[in-house]
Amino acid sequence: MANILQEIEQQIAGAKRGVAKQNVGVVREIGDGVAKIEGLTDAMLNEMIDFGNDIYGIALNLEETEVGAIILGEYTHIKEGMECRTTGRLLSVPVGMGLLGRVVNSIGMPLDGKGPVKSDTLYPVEKIAPGIIKRRSVSQPVQTGIMAVDAMIPIGRGQRELIIGDRSTGKTTIGIDTIINQARMNRAAEQAGDKSYRPLYCIYVAIGQKQSNIVRVTNVLEEHGAMPYTIVLAASAADTATNQYLAPFAGAAMGEWFMDNGMDALIIFDDLSKHAVAYRQVSLVLRRPSGREAYPGDVFYLHSRLLERAARLSEKAGNGSLTALPIIETQLGDVSAYIPTNVISITDGQIYLETDLFYQGIRPAISVGLSVSRVGSAAQVKAMKQVAGRIKGDLAQFRELAAFAQFGSDLDAKTQAQLERGKRIVEVFKQPQYNPVPIEVQVGLLWAVQNGFFDDVAVDKLKDCQAQMSDYLTSRKPELMTKILKEKALSDALVAELKAAVTEFKQTYR
Amino acid sequence: MKISKEARHIARSLYRDSLTDGRLDESKVRTIASGLTAAKPRELIAILKTYERLVRLEIERNTARVESAVALDGAMQQQITAQLQQIYRRPIAAEFGVNPELIGGVRVRVGSDVWDGSVAHRLRELGAAL
Ligand SMILES: Nc1ncnc2c1ncn2[C@@H]1O[C@H](COP(=O)(O)OP(=O)(O)OP(=O)(O)O)[C@@H](O)[C@H]1O
Ligand SMILES: [Mg+2]
Repeated sequence: MANILQEIEQQIAGAKRGVAKQNVGVVREIGDGVAKIEGLTDAMLNEMIDFGNDIYGIALNLEETEVGAIILGEYTHIKEGMECRTTGRLLSVPVGMGLLGRVVNSIGMPLDGKGPVKSDTLYPVEKIAPGIIKRRSVSQPVQTGIMAVDAMIPIGRGQRELIIGDRSTGKTTIGIDTIINQARMNRAAEQAGDKSYRPLYCIYVAIGQKQSNIVRVTNVLEEHGAMPYTIVLAASAADTATNQYLAPFAGAAMGEWFMDNGMDALIIFDDLSKHAVAYRQVSLVLRRPSGREAYPGDVFYLHSRLLERAARLSEKAGNGSLTALPIIETQLGDVSAYIPTNVISITDGQIYLETDLFYQGIRPAISVGLSVSRVGSAAQVKAMKQVAGRIKGDLAQFRELAAFAQFGSDLDAKTQAQLERGKRIVEVFKQPQYNPVPIEVQVGLLWAVQNGFFDDVAVDKLKDCQAQMSDYLTSRKPELMTKILKEKALSDALVAELKAAVTEFKQTYR
Repeated sequence: MKISKEARHIARSLYRDSLTDGRLDESKVRTIASGLTAAKPRELIAILKTYERLVRLEIERNTARVESAVALDGAMQQQITAQLQQIYRRPIAAEFGVNPELIGGVRVRVGSDVWDGSVAHRLRELGAAL
C-alpha cells in the first residue's frame, strides 16, 4: 500500500514540474498499416509515434511536410484527423535471461500464455553494429551436431552462415538441429559443473510462416528440452507486414544483449526471403520507389545492417558473440535472384541444400560442392580437422568418379576402391532430423571411415553399423570420448586407443 | 489523392515565389492563386491543393493558438505573446480562444509544437501513469 502512495506522490511531483514541449501531428491518411501524418516536425527516423490508447507507430519516412509511419498492432482504431505525438524514444524490446523459454512477438510481448515476460532492460530494435575495433576474428566453434556441417562446413561463433535451398529441402531442420545440440551441450556442461564451457543461447525468429509451422517448431524444441536455452520470436503470415519487417531486428536486439554481457548467442532468421517480401509491402504502402523485382532500393542495406550485427567481440569488449544463421528460400535452385545474391554476398558462407539430393534420400541434402564456410575452419576443433581435413575433397572426387563410372567403362582397382569409399562417406553423413551427434562421436566415426573400418560393411548395412558403433563408443568407451572432447586433438596415444576401440567393436559386430 | 511529382514540383516553386524575405507575402499569394486558376495548367487542382497546404503549414508555423479554460486578460495575453517571440525568435501571431474542456490552465500550439499546461492534460497523464 505504501508503495502505491509513493508512486502517486512521484506522479504528482512530475505533474507539478514545468510544461514540457510536445511535438504533434494530425493523421491525414491511413491504410494498410501505414499512416501519413502532417506535422511532427521534430520526428526522428525510427522514432516511436504515440497515437494514444496504447497504439504506437514508427516514423519511417520523413518528408518535407509529412511523416510516414508504420503502425504496430491494430491500425483499424486509427482515424483520419486523429492527433498523434512524438515520444523521443526508439522502438525497444525487452531483453535478458527472462526471455529464455518464451515465445514472444516482434515487440517482445508474450504469445505463450505464460504470463508477462520478466525483464528490466530494454534494447532498441535498430542499433548500429559493433565497429571494427571492438571485433575479433572467429575462433570458437558452433557445434551443430550435424556431421556434414561440423566436418566440412564448420561454423564459428560470431559467423554469419546462410542456409539456402528450395522449399522443403530441410532448411529449418538444420537450424532446429543446431538449437537442440546447443541445449544438449549447455545442459551437459551445467550438470558436470563445467565452468569453462561457454553456453550458447539460441533465438529462433520465424518470419511470415504459417502459424501451424511455428507451433510445430516450438513443440519440437519443447520435446527435446531445448526451450530453457531458447527464445522463439514469431511474426507469422497472419501478422502485419510491419511486424514481420521488425521481427529479425527485434530478435537481433535480444541476441545483442547476450553478446554485450560477455555471453554467446545464436540467431536463426527463418526466413529472410519472406522478410524481404514484408519489407517490399511496407515500402510500397509508404510509396517508396521500387527497383529490381519490385523490391525497394535499400533492401540490400536492410539485410546488411541486420547481419552486420552478428559479431565476435574482442576480449576488451567482453568476449561475447552473436552468430547468425539466416535462411533464404530459392525458387528452382536459382541463387542468382535478387535477394539470394544479396544475402550470399553479405554472409561468410552458405550451406546449400538441393532438392535432388533430398529426394535421393541424402538427408540433410547438403550440396558439398556448393557449400562453403569462409571463416569457420579457424574455429574448427583440431581433432575434427585431423579426421575431416581431406573428406570434402574425397567427396568431390567421388562425385566426379561416380559420374564417370556411369558410362560403364572398366574401372581399375584403385578407382573402384575410391568409389566404394565415397559411397560409404555419403552414407555416413546421412543423418535423421533432431538427432545431433556429439563432436567426439563424430570424430570417432570419421576416423573409422578414413581408416577403412567401414570398407567391408555393405553400403545398405552401413547406417546400422554406424549406429551400433556410435552406441558402442558412447556407452562402452565413455573415457575415450571424454578425452577426445577435452584434449580437442588426436594425439598418437589417442589414435591408438581409438583404433583399439574400433577394432574391438568390429569383432563383435556382425 | 495521388499527386504527381511534377505537380508537387510546380506547387513548391510557386510557394517559394510567394515569400518576401523568407516570410509569406499575402498579396503575392493572392496573385499567384488567381493567376494559376486563370492559366489552367494540367493538374490544376492537384497543384492548387499542394500549394494551399504549403501556405497553410507556413501560416500555422507562425501562428500560436492559445486556448485556456477561462478568458485571459490583456496582460496575460501580452506575456504569452512575448514569451513565444523569445522562444521562436520570429514574429508569432497569437490567436486566443476559450475551451472549457481544459478545466484549467493553458494550451499553446504553434505549428506542430504543443505546450500543454492544462489540467485536463495532467489528469490524463496521471491516469496513464497509474
Ligand atoms: N535430415 C532429415 N532426415 C529426414 N527428414 C528430414 C530431414 N531434414 C528434413 N526432413 C524433413 O523434410 C521436410 C522439410 O523439412 P524443413 O521443414 O526443415 O524444410 P524447409 O526447407 O524449412 O521447408 P519450408 O520451405 O517449408 O520452410 C520435413 O518434413 C522434415 O521432417
Ligand atoms: Mg522452413
